[in-house]
Amino acid sequence: MEILMAVLAGILFTTGIYNLLQKQLLRIIIGTGLISHGAHLFILTMGELKRGAPPILTEGVEGYTDPLPQALILTSIVISFGVTSLLLVLAYRAAQVNGTDNMEQLRGNDYE
Amino acid sequence: MIWAVFLPFILAVFIPFFDKWRQRIHTGFIVTVAPILIFIYFARFIGTNFEPITRSYSWIPSLDINLVFHLDGLSLLFVLLISGIGALVAFYSIYYLDKSEQLGHFYVYFLLFMGSMLGVVLSDNVFVLYSFWEFTSLSSFLLIGFWNFKKESRYGALKSMLITVFGGLSLLGALVFMTILTDTTSIQEMISQHQLILNSEYFPIILTLLLLGAFTKSAQFPFHIWLPDAMEAPTPVSAYLHSATMVKAGIYLIARYSPMMSSNDWFFIIVSSVGIVTLCWGSYMAVRQTDLKGILAFSTISQLGMIMSMLGFGTKVAVFAAVFHILNHATFKGSLFMVAGIVDHETGTRDIRKLGGLMTFLPITATLALFGTFSMAGVPLPFLNGFYSKELFFDATLHLDEIANMGLVGFVKATLPYLAVFGSIFTFVYSMYFFFGTFRGKAHLDSLPKKPHEAPIGMLISPIVLVLGVIVIGLFPNMVNEPFIAHAASAIKGMEVEKHVSFWHGPLYPPLIMSITVLVFGTVLYLARKQWAPAYRFIPGVLSMNKVYDGAVDRLETYSTSITKGYMNGSLGRYVRLVLSAILIVTFAFMAVTGGFTMDFSNLAPLSLPEILVAITMVIAAVATILTNNRITAILILGVVGYGLSMLFVLFRAPDLALTQLIIETVTVALFLLVFYHLPKLRKKEEATSTRVLNLIISIGFGALMTMIAISSHSSKWFDSISSYFLEKSHSLGGGDNVVNVILVDFRGLDTLFEIVVLGIAAMAIYGLIKLPGKKEDN
Amino acid sequence: MSNLVALPIILPLIAGILMAFIHKRTKVVRTLSQVFAVLHFLMVGFIFLQVKNNGSIILETGDWAAPYGIILVGDLLSMTLVLTTSVIGVASVFFAPQSLSKQQEEFYFYSFFFLLIAGVSGAFLTGDLFNLFVFFEVLLMASYGLIVLGNGKVQLRESIKYVLINLFSSMLFVTTISFLYSVVGTVNMAQIAERVREVEQQGILTTIGIMFFFVFATKAAVFPLYYWLPRPYISPNPVVSALFGALLTKVGVYSILRTFTLMFNQDVQLTHTLFIYLAALTMLFGVIGALSTNNVKLVIAYNIIPAVGFMLMGIGIFTETAISGTIYYLVHDMIIKAALFFLVGALVYVAGTSDLRKMGGLIHHHPLLAWLFFIASLVLAGIPPFSGFIGKLLLLQGGLSQDELMIVIVALISSLLILFSMIRIFIRGFWGEKQEDPHPERKWRGLKMTFPAGVLLALSILLGVGAEWFYPTIQSISEYLMDPQLYIDSVLKE
Repeated sequence: MEILMAVLAGILFTTGIYNLLQKQLLRIIIGTGLISHGAHLFILTMGELKRGAPPILTEGVEGYTDPLPQALILTSIVISFGVTSLLLVLAYRAAQVNGTDNMEQLRGNDYE
Repeated sequence: MIWAVFLPFILAVFIPFFDKWRQRIHTGFIVTVAPILIFIYFARFIGTNFEPITRSYSWIPSLDINLVFHLDGLSLLFVLLISGIGALVAFYSIYYLDKSEQLGHFYVYFLLFMGSMLGVVLSDNVFVLYSFWEFTSLSSFLLIGFWNFKKESRYGALKSMLITVFGGLSLLGALVFMTILTDTTSIQEMISQHQLILNSEYFPIILTLLLLGAFTKSAQFPFHIWLPDAMEAPTPVSAYLHSATMVKAGIYLIARYSPMMSSNDWFFIIVSSVGIVTLCWGSYMAVRQTDLKGILAFSTISQLGMIMSMLGFGTKVAVFAAVFHILNHATFKGSLFMVAGIVDHETGTRDIRKLGGLMTFLPITATLALFGTFSMAGVPLPFLNGFYSKELFFDATLHLDEIANMGLVGFVKATLPYLAVFGSIFTFVYSMYFFFGTFRGKAHLDSLPKKPHEAPIGMLISPIVLVLGVIVIGLFPNMVNEPFIAHAASAIKGMEVEKHVSFWHGPLYPPLIMSITVLVFGTVLYLARKQWAPAYRFIPGVLSMNKVYDGAVDRLETYSTSITKGYMNGSLGRYVRLVLSAILIVTFAFMAVTGGFTMDFSNLAPLSLPEILVAITMVIAAVATILTNNRITAILILGVVGYGLSMLFVLFRAPDLALTQLIIETVTVALFLLVFYHLPKLRKKEEATSTRVLNLIISIGFGALMTMIAISSHSSKWFDSISSYFLEKSHSLGGGDNVVNVILVDFRGLDTLFEIVVLGIAAMAIYGLIKLPGKKEDN
Repeated sequence: MSNLVALPIILPLIAGILMAFIHKRTKVVRTLSQVFAVLHFLMVGFIFLQVKNNGSIILETGDWAAPYGIILVGDLLSMTLVLTTSVIGVASVFFAPQSLSKQQEEFYFYSFFFLLIAGVSGAFLTGDLFNLFVFFEVLLMASYGLIVLGNGKVQLRESIKYVLINLFSSMLFVTTISFLYSVVGTVNMAQIAERVREVEQQGILTTIGIMFFFVFATKAAVFPLYYWLPRPYISPNPVVSALFGALLTKVGVYSILRTFTLMFNQDVQLTHTLFIYLAALTMLFGVIGALSTNNVKLVIAYNIIPAVGFMLMGIGIFTETAISGTIYYLVHDMIIKAALFFLVGALVYVAGTSDLRKMGGLIHHHPLLAWLFFIASLVLAGIPPFSGFIGKLLLLQGGLSQDELMIVIVALISSLLILFSMIRIFIRGFWGEKQEDPHPERKWRGLKMTFPAGVLLALSILLGVGAEWFYPTIQSISEYLMDPQLYIDSVLKE
């Protein structure tokens, strides 16, 4: 199962990066979304999958899944949410002020 | 002794303050005091029973960088030159520079230079020496750029800085090398351990770096090109830095390291031949100049070459002659520069084509020039010091007894006398050209900007003193010899050097014959110079070193621009492609080399259908984001991936994550939809197929890389996780049963605190983005 | 006592939050910020002295013992860098009012500023790898806030590139942490270091180490990952550029230094050889960039890159002398980069353009600015006796004693070209015929802008001339870094 998940996360990275390499802002941001999904899946996989109950302590249960990666993912999810929101608003403003969302037209020159 | 070195610096600090009240008195008077004091202080060391003295003051002892000043015969010669000529030049400058000039600046640089130059010749610590060395380059840069409203001045300043700092950095390399090999920063100790350096496999590199430093500073071929352009500096500066002192720092350096290196064949070959080529090239080029200072600049180059080559010979006679010539050159060349300054000052031009016949208008100046030029030409007269050192030079080229006759060494040795004569012939020609072109012949008064008349007496004093030096040394050469020159030569040779100098050695004395050859051919060439002038069209012709320099600097900028513009085109796609490819290639390479990829299937969770289905859905959705051209669809499919992920979180026993992911995904999709209204529609792909293929390779490669590392990491679980602690203590110490929550708020509470801070900052930034009116133009 | 070490993070955090609440009252915010910045400096100075005299201060946050809780490690390296950060903070906060518009000040500049300081200090202090990621995010988010501040056209455009690159590298960072966690089962840096040494088969660890290197190298602007840097760095206000140039890349360098001395030090032959080559390329491409443009701000921004090359060179050579050189250079470069961005900010302000070809003769109107710029150029190029020289000398010594001739020669050539790139500005911008002052009304404000730079310059001269006061400390840091057991013992205390 871990192998499968690693491959899945890898595919999420692949599609994310492919989107990231496009010209249009919206696609690029979608790419970052996919990448962060991939990253979170990687983290989860790095703990051991399905070895026991959810890490909520209950009487009589012995094995639990690794809680630390879950905690890390939670922190990371929240942070990437913050960044993505900022990025979206930034994209909106930049497209509005510059009149385009095509990154190739947003190259600029030295003297601005 | 430390006061002597730092006096100029201290005075320099006060000059700007003094400069404010200088209406009544010229700043130069104050400045002249410093070198006079220093000269008096050091003059007392002259004498037959001189012993080297060392004074140390700690500065950065933990790096072994200390102010250690070592005064031996060689340093003493230079110190007296620096302070003596310094005093004369400072005095001369009072009359040369008008009060309306930025005198404060001028004298600050001047003092900065003087202090640094004293530091160079007195420091025994290599890094202190290097510090002062760079400061001489910098003060020279500032002085050349003194009249920086002139384009030529800026050009010359930059050129001199680039070339001399280049040399300075090579020197630094050599010095660091030597300190590592000998484990000392003291020059004297290095010399005593010279075997460690000479026998090191790095010796060729050390020698090259050291010589680069010396040759650039002392304007040796082919690095001489900065010196003629340095003539844009005010004339007192040219006389002082670019003739008498700073350009001799390279000579000093070679002399200083002679005891260590002169036994080496390559040292002989390189230093002698570079020196002698410089001598020939400089004197040949000097004849072509039309600017008086241009002639003197090339003349200086040529004379420096002569001194350099003698240090390369390394025989007793040669070293003695080198030291002697350092002194003599300072006297006659210093006076000639001042003469050129006077001519410029009184006629308004230095162009020799406009000058001529000035003897009647400036009789005293002309007399001074006569002594100066004839001494420089080496005319055999008993009251010209230039003749003595020149004759010793000829003598030295003939008596290289310590040098082998074989191979390259032998070849260099055999050609030296001929080249010496060749160079000296042109020296004679330009000396005559300088004197007769300026002071004899027909005067063209109407083409001169000013009506010429004799200079004020103040301006004449300094050159008169120097010319008196020429004559006195010429008449009584042994007066300076024993108490002074011999000490310096001994310091270079590392053993006693004594030499009695006399004017007459008999009619068949070979050096005399060489001198007479020079005289005869020189006269012929001078008189016939119009006939052979076309030679300059072929040599140097287009092969000028200046063109190389200009081309190099130009190309440095244009190539830099084209290289940088080539990849820094502002395209995000380009940046990301480059960054990712770099990571991809290097990491793969490392994984391959270290055998980092391992697979271990023994410890895996079993596959089950729900996960596989979710995974397949996610893959399809992820790929679909690439294929779709509809904005809403793309956003919604991204949502599908997110919800799929939360499904996986559920399946993998992570309820908190699943909940959070669900909420966040929903909000994110909402945000996307909000923003998408304001973004233009998605378009069909516009890229060329090659770019698309490249993108595909990079993204697949990267995904594969991550997967491979993930599998390897998972197969290498060598240690117990610290998580068991959390599971154990969560209830008893953390007071909660949901371990993930306890980790977040307690065990790793700091993370959570700052995670909230991140959100807070994001909120403020977004607020600013929305509220602040956008500016179409940046300021 | 050990709680002290949290103060460099907590104080700016409080200040940042406070400034957010009173952001409309510009004058109060300004004064308060200056007070806070100075206070921060004094406090950090005090802690620094404590650490210097009594050894590292370790704080187990929430009282959870290492390696389970998050540990803040106030060792001499961290505190030196936090101290330098606070100095730059003080200078920036006094420079800011001259250079920012009222709107920018109102829209949370000071909050972002303090939170950036908090993030940077946290990154220097933390002893936990995941916590390092969190602090990276704090400082990055603050930098996003700063870079977009003002909503200029160019600014927004360059910000997107900046945010995207950093977002990607953050994701890579967090993933790589999880990989490492899988192998060693912990995120505590001391424990990682301890466990890494017990592993025989280093392959996967080296690969993970290289991933970490790339994550940090993206922040630090190492070849070939610096492409994103120059333009985003010059598009915001000069004070923001100064903060970025002085602090952000240096956090990346610090992270490389820390991780590769503490944790990934098993396969030195391989990894550090890579560093040396990358360092050489970084230097060369950096100076080539600096020579390629006539935009004065861009020249300074490009000059960040070769400096990173110098620091990486020391890590690559990996001897005590070379590491000392890296640390010395790090401190020196933080100070001089801030000073240079201030100066060039003032230059562009008084000249009214950033195009060198349109400038000339400014020395006649702005002599102080010109001379400070000249000295700053010398400091940057490593001319003795200024601070750049000491670091460079140590690096050269380290390099030659390890027979790394190539990198030494590249370093020397880059020094020359750095000087050239700076002197070009001095010659073409300041020298020349006296012309009409393009903006005489800006003279006074321009002068006020040069003062903070002057103070920083004085400091960097002190750092060079008075090296004897600083070098022994730096040397002891280097010794400490070369013996990771010291760090491990001080944190794990077993």
